[in-house]
Amino acid sequence: MKNIVLLNGSSHPQLAKKISECLGVELSSCTLGKFSNQETNVEIKSSVREKHVYIIQSGCGRVNDNVIELFILIQACRMGSAKRITVVTPLFPYSRQSEKSQRKRLPQHQIGSEIMNSLTQHSGSSPSLPQGSFAQSFMGMSMGESGYRQWCARAGTLVANLLQAAGADHLIAMDLHDPQYQGFFQIPVDLIYAEPCIIQWIRSEIPNWRQAVVVSPDAGGAKRATSICNKLNLDFALIHKEDLANTKESMGLVGEVQGRPTIILDDMIDSGSTIGLASEILKRHGATEIYAIAVHGVFSGPALEIINRSPVTAVACTNTVPQEEFRNKCPKLKTIDIAPMLGEIIRRTFYGESVSQLFVHDEQA
Amino acid sequence: MSSNSIRILAGNSHPALAKLIAKRLGTDLANVTVSKYSNQETAVTIGESVRDEDVFIIQSGCGEINDHLMELLIMINACKTASARRITAVLPCFPYARQDKKDKSRAPISAKLVANMLTVAGADHVITMDLHASQIQGFFDRPVDNLYGEPSVLRYIRENIPDWKNAIIVSPDAGGAKRATSIADYLDLDFALIHKERKKANEVSRMVLVGDVKDKVAILVDDMADTCGTLGLAAKTLMENGASAVYAIVIHGVLSGKALDVINNSLLTRVVVTNTIPHAEKKKLCPKLDTIDVSAVLAEAIRRTHNGESVSYLFGHATI
Repeated sequence: MKNIVLLNGSSHPQLAKKISECLGVELSSCTLGKFSNQETNVEIKSSVREKHVYIIQSGCGRVNDNVIELFILIQACRMGSAKRITVVTPLFPYSRQSEKSQRKRLPQHQIGSEIMNSLTQHSGSSPSLPQGSFAQSFMGMSMGESGYRQWCARAGTLVANLLQAAGADHLIAMDLHDPQYQGFFQIPVDLIYAEPCIIQWIRSEIPNWRQAVVVSPDAGGAKRATSICNKLNLDFALIHKEDLANTKESMGLVGEVQGRPTIILDDMIDSGSTIGLASEILKRHGATEIYAIAVHGVFSGPALEIINRSPVTAVACTNTVPQEEFRNKCPKLKTIDIAPMLGEIIRRTFYGESVSQLFVHDEQA
Repeated sequence: MSSNSIRILAGNSHPALAKLIAKRLGTDLANVTVSKYSNQETAVTIGESVRDEDVFIIQSGCGEINDHLMELLIMINACKTASARRITAVLPCFPYARQDKKDKSRAPISAKLVANMLTVAGADHVITMDLHASQIQGFFDRPVDNLYGEPSVLRYIRENIPDWKNAIIVSPDAGGAKRATSIADYLDLDFALIHKERKKANEVSRMVLVGDVKDKVAILVDDMADTCGTLGLAAKTLMENGASAVYAIVIHGVLSGKALDVINNSLLTRVVVTNTIPHAEKKKLCPKLDTIDVSAVLAEAIRRTHNGESVSYLFGHATI
């Protein structure tokens, strides 16, 4: 492949190397580091003039450093007269901050409801006051007497704009948390799905997959889970969380898993709490084995301990985020390799062939 | 109905300077929490309304620069979507200012990238101090105020250096000659220059002094002190040529890596930096370090920008 340049950022060099082996193209040499005052230092060693450049950078590890490094790499290629710059982000940075679900991450939300419950039990609050404002005025929270709610910054649009401002012409992203995110961009965005790789893994690694039930750990992921069930001809179940009142009964399972192996499907494992909770519920309802499959295995904080202690049989994640360290700490963790898929996408976009062909071939049962 | 007011938001890079500026302006810092989610992404929460207000975000390009830069961008963006009337980014030390030209093949112009990013995030105005090259102002389409630390430096020299009338201003390299001559003219002093001669590549360069420093107090003036290698060698050269004492005054004291050891072991009497970059911790390790407080200059610039008054008064006069 002539006139192609593959550059990798420092977030996930192993994946970039695998992709370059799949494509048969050498990674262009590029020194990445920091100046002594912590500013990022990027030097591209070979010419990029009139070439099609692919920059591979994942939004993991030290996210801000990797994001700035990505912008500087794009800028350097633009200044070096590259013909076209495509950014390949296996895990798109700040992808979960594009919509209102951020509110669920704030602890105030839960504190509010717990205090509300204790208030109604002890003091018999006057029924004329709406519950919400009673709790707020009692706590005198930073919500303030004016009733101003906290404004949580949502960095999703910002990152999209910055990528375009730095000079990217095309974006290839894998399994974005929020598919509508494509609309934030003026430049073409190719979304690729790890689904074919996941289906292949299920068929080869889960011994009795034909009796399995695919479970979505929350309502938002139902569509993702049903798509896989339909392709494999399996049954489906859903775990439903109630916001307020944290009683255990309300963590409902919709569907039957008694005596069956189960496969929990999610797009990301970050804190591990969703998977931990979901696996407890499935165990209680009589599942024989519990497999958890996620596209992005971020595993921040105590996630690996939670998984080690939970009734999960095995966890499989793709290598959009470097997985070696996690595998050393958690023997239940397996990796699904998506480097060949990314390599195929790069080859097809380079030659101008159709990418959608990759997503229609897996109809065998 | 009511006119808008100044809101000062501070990032995590230099909270002490932000507090000083707010105190000087007679307001409190706005209620903003800047932290990280567990996966290391930056989380910004603004705790009060900024609708239709004049917002000033104070963040310096120092320490963990990339983290601070992302914090700044996200704060600007948050204020923009919260309908602030005008957003000014106050950057006492502009990040990536030294990468302002393509000095070799495929080098990025990171200063231009930062300018683009600030504009895209939604900043309407930028206030900074002593840019490495004042042409960086041209990278922006928005108005930029480049303040000068020079008046504060002049006042420091007059008040704190004994026998300053018998001093000589020295520039540690050819690039800073203009800055040093300007100070020398104001104080009516002589001027000297140190020139680096490179015999071959990879050989320690020889420093040549151009000018006479015999029996005089030498004052080295530069815009930034990073690893301090240049300052240490310059001090040695000056003492060898007969200077009685060597002071160094720099605006941005980055002081990274082994800088403090170099200063402690060098022949410098004192190194003076402004507080554009926090260095309280470093002062404990290096007794030769002294501070010039520029919070007053920044606060005055903010007040004048808000009121629509002229800022050029600050270019020639040190604030009280």
